[in-house]
Amino acid sequence: MTSFAVSVRDLAVQYGRRLVFQGVSFDIAAGQSLGVLGPNGSGKTTLLRTLAGCLTPRSGEVRIAGLTPRDALTRTGVAYFAGDATLPGSVRASRWGSLGNGDVVTPDRRPIRALSRGTRQLLGLRTVLGRHPLGLIALDEPWEALDPDAARWLSTTLETKRDRGAALVLSSHRLHDLAGFCDSYLFLLPHHAKVVHAHEISATSPVTALQLAEVFDKVRGGAMSLRAVS
Amino acid sequence: MAHSVSPLRFFRVVPTQPALIVWTFLVVVAIGGIAIARVPSRSGDLMRPVLLLQLFAASSGFEVPARRGHYDLLLTSGHRRIWVALVHWAISIAPGVLAWLVLAVVEVTARGDADTHLLASGTCAAMGLVSTMPWAITVRLPRFSGGIGWLLVLTLSTSVLSPGRMPGSSGANEVGESIWSAWEFLVYPVVFVGRELSIGDGLIAAPALVLALAAMVAACRWVSRTSVPLEAAQ
Repeated sequence: MTSFAVSVRDLAVQYGRRLVFQGVSFDIAAGQSLGVLGPNGSGKTTLLRTLAGCLTPRSGEVRIAGLTPRDALTRTGVAYFAGDATLPGSVRASRWGSLGNGDVVTPDRRPIRALSRGTRQLLGLRTVLGRHPLGLIALDEPWEALDPDAARWLSTTLETKRDRGAALVLSSHRLHDLAGFCDSYLFLLPHHAKVVHAHEISATSPVTALQLAEVFDKVRGGAMSLRAVS
Repeated sequence: MAHSVSPLRFFRVVPTQPALIVWTFLVVVAIGGIAIARVPSRSGDLMRPVLLLQLFAASSGFEVPARRGHYDLLLTSGHRRIWVALVHWAISIAPGVLAWLVLAVVEVTARGDADTHLLASGTCAAMGLVSTMPWAITVRLPRFSGGIGWLLVLTLSTSVLSPGRMPGSSGANEVGESIWSAWEFLVYPVVFVGRELSIGDGLIAAPALVLALAAMVAACRWVSRTSVPLEAAQ
């Protein structure tokens, strides 16, 4: 029997009366990565927060290394970052950076709000990714606002963590961020979700953004057809 | 388990209240300390600004910064949420408690005996109330809401519910007076500052303290169980 690092079954999450998504299922093995793609408001952030134990789903099941997300937080390392806007602006950058593993991430003593957006994003990423070991890394739009050097550092770091056995869940609404990087892709659309493995899209070469866009259109078309039928 | 930041360290880096509160406590302690050293009998009066400030310091609010994602690093670090809640509360009230203890030490030193107003049981009860209830009330509200609400209730109580206007508190009615006294301690705990509580006083203070304890339990339970959606993701 295969033991998955992350296993999600028929997941549904709602805020108050608003259903964000439902029927989401996927598995990720240790050392594999899932890219979560979808338009704004489709529930990418909500899905990642559910994996990180911050949200309780309406129904369905999430297991991380066989544990509920909240239990997994205590027993296996989970790195979660939802973007630079979640960093407290009044805290000095150097002090925030030290919260990761105690190492100095940046000597910059300015308040976080005084940093550029890309610098804030990099600070947040370096802080959460400095922790180790990590069983699950869930990052929301991680390449957003990064300059080329920082983006390259992020890609290299994620590949290293994945090679060491971490399962990655990365979201983006920009296809070229995730193209070629992930082992499988979750297309999250309102009332519809579909997982497509990279080898199903391109058997011989890394998946390109154009190929992802084509698959995205097909999935979206399927969703529209299903609605039309129902 | 991955290296994870402790709640204590996290809330030292990400303070629960603005620096202005801490600086104001320092000013109050400096002025109060000098005044108590010169006239130790006035210590009870000088405790009032500390209690007022503590009202706002304890009203630190948990849900709003949590929903902005400020506490994500801590909430995903694997520490039990109950521990996170208790440390958040402890860090919120720490400046006020320290200010109180410093003034008490000054009073003990100035008086030269153990008979101090600031360590009297009434002062401890008042400090306990303003250090717990506002935190518990504000846990789901924006910062300072508990303090502002408390002052509003106090103002309404003195202007609308004062003895004689409060139903059943005509002065001749002992039960009505007891209820009024308990209410008075709840909304204005300063009345007990400097007093050693008699059994009667204890019975008057007990409902408010039990209410504060119940509110703390409810607030900690809420922090332990609640979902923390991201404000921007809803």
